[in-house]
Amino acid sequence: MSSNDLGDYRDVWVYCEHVDGELIRPTREIIAAARSVADLLSMRVVAIVLGYNLGDLVKEPVYYGADKVIYCDDHRLKDYLTLPYTSIVSDMVIKERPWALLFVANEMGRDLASRVAYRTLTGLAADLIDLKVEDFVAYTPQGKVTYPNLLAQIRPDFGTRIAKIFTPRHRPQISSVRPGNFKELPRDERRNGEVVRWEPRFSDDDFKVEVLESRYERRKETGLEDAKVIVSLGLGILRDSKGTVRNPREAYEMAQELVKLIRERFGVKAEVGASRALIYAELKELEGLVTKEMQVGQTGKTVAPDVYIALGISGALQHKVGMNRSKKIVAVNSDPNAPIFEIAHYCVVGDLYEVLPKFIEALRGE
Amino acid sequence: MLIITLFKGVPARTTRVVTIGGVLKREEMDIVMNPHDFKALEAADYIKRSVGGKLIALTMGPDVKLSPIVNSLFDAPIEGIDEGYVLSDRRMAGADTWATAYTVAKGIRKVVDVHVRPVETLISMVEGGAGTDELIGYCRELYNSNMLPNAIYSELPTIRNSTVTAFAKGELTREETLRRLRSSLEELRRFVVVAGIKTTDGETGSTGPQVAEALSEMNGGTIPSLTYVRDFDIHPEDGTIIVERKLGDLFQRLRSRLPCVLTISPEYRSRVPSVRSRKAALLRNYRCKVRRATIWNAGDIDADPSKIGLAGSPTIVGPGVDVGAPQVRKLVGVTKVCLRRVERFSLDGKTYGPFERGTKVDDLPHEVIEYLEERGDVGTFTLEMLIEEVFGVKRVVVERSG
Repeated sequence: MSSNDLGDYRDVWVYCEHVDGELIRPTREIIAAARSVADLLSMRVVAIVLGYNLGDLVKEPVYYGADKVIYCDDHRLKDYLTLPYTSIVSDMVIKERPWALLFVANEMGRDLASRVAYRTLTGLAADLIDLKVEDFVAYTPQGKVTYPNLLAQIRPDFGTRIAKIFTPRHRPQISSVRPGNFKELPRDERRNGEVVRWEPRFSDDDFKVEVLESRYERRKETGLEDAKVIVSLGLGILRDSKGTVRNPREAYEMAQELVKLIRERFGVKAEVGASRALIYAELKELEGLVTKEMQVGQTGKTVAPDVYIALGISGALQHKVGMNRSKKIVAVNSDPNAPIFEIAHYCVVGDLYEVLPKFIEALRGE
Repeated sequence: MLIITLFKGVPARTTRVVTIGGVLKREEMDIVMNPHDFKALEAADYIKRSVGGKLIALTMGPDVKLSPIVNSLFDAPIEGIDEGYVLSDRRMAGADTWATAYTVAKGIRKVVDVHVRPVETLISMVEGGAGTDELIGYCRELYNSNMLPNAIYSELPTIRNSTVTAFAKGELTREETLRRLRSSLEELRRFVVVAGIKTTDGETGSTGPQVAEALSEMNGGTIPSLTYVRDFDIHPEDGTIIVERKLGDLFQRLRSRLPCVLTISPEYRSRVPSVRSRKAALLRNYRCKVRRATIWNAGDIDADPSKIGLAGSPTIVGPGVDVGAPQVRKLVGVTKVCLRRVERFSLDGKTYGPFERGTKVDDLPHEVIEYLEERGDVGTFTLEMLIEEVFGVKRVVVERSG
């Protein structure tokens, strides 16, 4: 929505995703993100919750930091469907005029945010890793125009760069925020907030898509997100530095050995991860061993362990955004120009088939 | 049926276009088709083979870069596209997802209109009592310019009962002819747009759903978007599609009405169409391929200049900020570090230190490093040191006794 009077738009909204009566962790994180922005501008954090038989769930956003909840509880919202969900969120936005609206940058968040942003005639910045409040200066043919106190929507750009996206002339400023970039606030049942019910208005068109089947399929938990050490494998494990073809199983087993030693020796959680390239290569040798749940990167998990060891990973931007907040990054790659070295604290230009045994040996204390 | 597959031209590599200093290496920015869009093409090709229709590729961007890609798609390893359109106009440059969705939707609208209008004209001619010679003449012209599906008019020897031919031979009444033409028209209006789930350069995944939203607005009725589709079954005769998709952990099987927009997941695997469906498919096909990309500018698609390109984009990308490489980077075999703690010392009237063990000294003046190396205080960073720093484990070197 574009308006000459952008001052009318207030509050930072959060679209809440929930499974089995609980807010998902990334939703709790973006409530914290919204809180940090709203506090700077003396605005409120408003959470929107859609679903059926919501019960006490509607109070949860308040416990995690929201000031107000607007919820819509209707049997037609039992299963997620893009069209009715878009209609309700868009109606709320048009009537209540929020200043900003945050979604989680996962599949559902992207699906919904895209249509809501187009329908409410405003901008969408996707895959944010940080949010700030900043002035934006535009140079127009009419001269310099300053837009004070905008949402600086920060997303990764090429290399070690970040880009700031601004939505100066439209409201709300809609963003999707990647999981793992904000710390959720501790749950506090003493927090108070207003909880308001919203009556939906549907049109027949909202049900042009009908649900034949809808269910959550639990993925195998890998515990990658809270591991302290991650040993990650990329397509580089297919060859050693001399170009000889190696059985990737060798590298996989060494990586498993390494994480086992780390667990035993330091008593910390250590896991094996993988790049998207390796997972999508669907290697026979690694069938059932390297699975989608292990993927680190933009379409996989965002991780921030104490130590991240990247073995044979070139470091595409999409991989880097999933691990660049790790405290210590060790990169082993035979290609000295591999982009992973741009962000690594420790760089080993060499053969992982030589380096990995040395790691194992050192940790065994041999 | 009209099967419109969208693609985007993206830089050929996203891993190597940036130097370590963060500078774009423009010479390596060859433009290729977004890899995710091959899945869309695969799905669109499956639709064409299983139910028939015209497979149309549509893209937006500089035509000099994109026309060669479109032209290469006519002879794709699959059956290939039938027609290709490039929306190319300087005014479209700098578009964000909103402006892109608007422009692409305008292009789709035009593609659909171009195909629907002749059939509408044909219907009004039949309603107005046009003679068979006049009708056949009009149809032949349209058929040869690839604008009529075989079901309405065909010169293929295998198709004897296309609507207008049957009418001309007196095998169909005027009412029956009109009913069949109207049903063909309805099918044409129930197009399907197929897109990739996202691009490798923007990665937002917004374009598919936003194109659906933009088309809804232009269509005056909601057009569904079905994202992350892994499998589907399309039924143009009753205007429905059943899809399987996965949104994160949420598995869904949905039935949607056509027209709709699909975005195809990398997990999609196309099936083999049944023999029966392939026979019906022939009726929805058009005469042949138009083997050259058609280029349309903003005026051609009747796009509102205030809604395209940079001008039509609600978002603005501010100046990029280099967040920089890690403060201290150590390269095994290259970086010079202190091998032990070095107390404060003076050299050529300047004092240095103290330095802790492991401190990187690459930034010190050359002569200082040489001096420390001579004293044995500085050496090259080794793998053993790396292991020690990362894990806090000192590797014990066992001296083997002869």
